[in-house]
Amino acid sequence: MTYRKIAGAAALLTAAALGLTVPSPARAAASATTCGSAATVKETLPNGTTWQLCWRIHDKAGLVLTQVYVSTKLQPEPVQVLDSIRLAQLHVPYDTGDVEYDDLTDIGMGGYSLESLDGDDCKGGSARQGSDGSAEPAQRKVLCVSAEPSGLAYRAREESWGENGPEPGTLYSRQGHDLVLRTISKLSWYEYVTEYRLHDDGQISARLGATGDLAPGFEADAARGWPVGSGDAYKAAMHYHNAFWRVDFNLDGKGGEKVQQYDTKLDGQGEMTAKVKTTRTDITTEGAFSKVDQRWWRLASRSSANADGHPRSYELVTGANDRYQGHPETKPDVTFSEKSLCEKWASGNDSDPECPPDIRTVVDFVKDKQTLTDPVMWVRVGFHHVPRDEDQSPMPMHWQGFDLVPRDFTAMNPLTPDGRTGQNGNPEPSAEPEPSGVQPSGSRG
Amino acid sequence: MIHHRKWGWGLGVATASAVTAFGVASWQANAAPATPTPTVAAERATVSDPQPVPEAATGSGNDALTSSEVQRARAIALTPQLAADAEDVTGKAGPEYLSAEVDPEAGGREAELYFYDYRSEKLFKQVVDLKAGKLVNSFSAAGMQPPASEQESRTALELLIADPAGDTLEESYRAATGKALNGIEGLVPTAHVYTAGPADKGAEKCGRNRCVQLIVATADGRFLSAGEFIIDLSGRTVARLK
Ligand SMILES: [Cu+2]
Repeated sequence: MTYRKIAGAAALLTAAALGLTVPSPARAAASATTCGSAATVKETLPNGTTWQLCWRIHDKAGLVLTQVYVSTKLQPEPVQVLDSIRLAQLHVPYDTGDVEYDDLTDIGMGGYSLESLDGDDCKGGSARQGSDGSAEPAQRKVLCVSAEPSGLAYRAREESWGENGPEPGTLYSRQGHDLVLRTISKLSWYEYVTEYRLHDDGQISARLGATGDLAPGFEADAARGWPVGSGDAYKAAMHYHNAFWRVDFNLDGKGGEKVQQYDTKLDGQGEMTAKVKTTRTDITTEGAFSKVDQRWWRLASRSSANADGHPRSYELVTGANDRYQGHPETKPDVTFSEKSLCEKWASGNDSDPECPPDIRTVVDFVKDKQTLTDPVMWVRVGFHHVPRDEDQSPMPMHWQGFDLVPRDFTAMNPLTPDGRTGQNGNPEPSAEPEPSGVQPSGSRG
Repeated sequence: MIHHRKWGWGLGVATASAVTAFGVASWQANAAPATPTPTVAAERATVSDPQPVPEAATGSGNDALTSSEVQRARAIALTPQLAADAEDVTGKAGPEYLSAEVDPEAGGREAELYFYDYRSEKLFKQVVDLKAGKLVNSFSAAGMQPPASEQESRTALELLIADPAGDTLEESYRAATGKALNGIEGLVPTAHVYTAGPADKGAEKCGRNRCVQLIVATADGRFLSAGEFIIDLSGRTVARLK
């Protein structure tokens, strides 16, 4: 609000800020996103990877990322990954059967639920100001943008052979980093962190964190509650946090990805051990799917290939995931639907007078089994929260989410160091002698 | 790991075969000083920290609606007919204004505004083309209940306190603060829109009617007992679940 008072001074700042962020015509490809500078995040991580995207706050969905592009040191032209990603529902049913909330469509993650960043919320990062998405939008610092170390990105020590056997050679060892975007929504006692981690190797991790406090007064018996506080007097009710995300890819700006499922199974006996077979199933029509051991899905471009000629794709990787059996729509792990503007919320979707009133959940989205030409992926990740003493107080953050991992998006590891750029493909293409105690015959000079 | 190193002679062949392509380079690098050349970097990752800029009058592309866009869109969306025929949660003329969002799929700057009419029990969606400055579409339907406005949350709390059911809330306020409750003063309501399930008793109309369930906290963050009540904003009644 204070910006109104200092509008004169701020106008000067605006010009300066714009001058810094508007790309020059020569780098026009980098400005493929269509949003103003305040809604643009464009940051380069230490390994040379740049993520660029637009963000905004939706009153129900909270943080929405659109037009997500990545470029890397080896591939300096930005290539689009996502059209958009956002939460699509947060369903919280209590094990007592007394109460359930569809938080996105009953209350909303944006607007008045969205917290202004404060305290350590954005320590070491940049708190970005934007509209909070409410009915009477206010400009507030709500998005935290930060770069965080992600641990060892890779390690390889080359070995060479000297007079006395192996000798250490070049060491390739790099710290990785993530560009982290997060907002905080306070839904009375619970507080939720919506977080997207854009890794420097092209991976995108979406997760929801829950903190704040347990619902007060939600008591249950021993089969449905866990004693917190002294003795057994009060058992806090168990419940689920069933989160859904809507993911709309637009690989290399071409859209219309193919959906493919892969399964790995035993396949007879080899000479030494079991043979194993991985098979692909093309998912050509809408449907809801569930994970079994060693099953995964990917969205592959029909028309964009990496420099090796392989179709660019992203793979869905899910981890811990509790399945709430109480509703049909909370059972499938992933649903692929043909893009429709009337399909917005994984449940409670019957909230737009322009749209049919009987398309209520993801299950309804796919029941007519339309052909997939422009797929949207709905990912469900559930967490059965069994309270524990440590949940008081505040509750330690618990996370649930999934990863989108590049598969052939680039021809090599996007972080490949200079010394390894020739290392693409069969490492033993010809009958070159293996290095041994003698100098390799392939030695140049 | 230590064992592997000791037995490196035997394993070395397999290990090295995987690095044939750059084995040459490492031989050369090693030819001079036999010290490894680590490429470990010590950069501290930082991000830019742009100064907040004043809100633009008009957004572009995927930008959220600006305050002035919302103001303009509201004026256009509230047609004379809607203003005259509809009623808000307090019974005043004109619909209850709920929310405004941008429709980036529309290509230009299109705003979608949602209103609830308590007279017809219908949700209205008004689509405004901001560039052309006109209403381009209008839809309405019964039985659709988006999140409550702040005015609706407040009204729900007033209804609850005015109802005999509010005694529970008053007791829990006195227990929490040692003071007597003075209307909705010092209370922070959070409203969940409530739609009756098939098994629900006591609030069967909710869904067709606009109802909320309240979470009520004191200004200093202490929660009061209110969750077992459903406030029917359309019927202006309070029901107890179970
Ligand atoms: Cu929980």
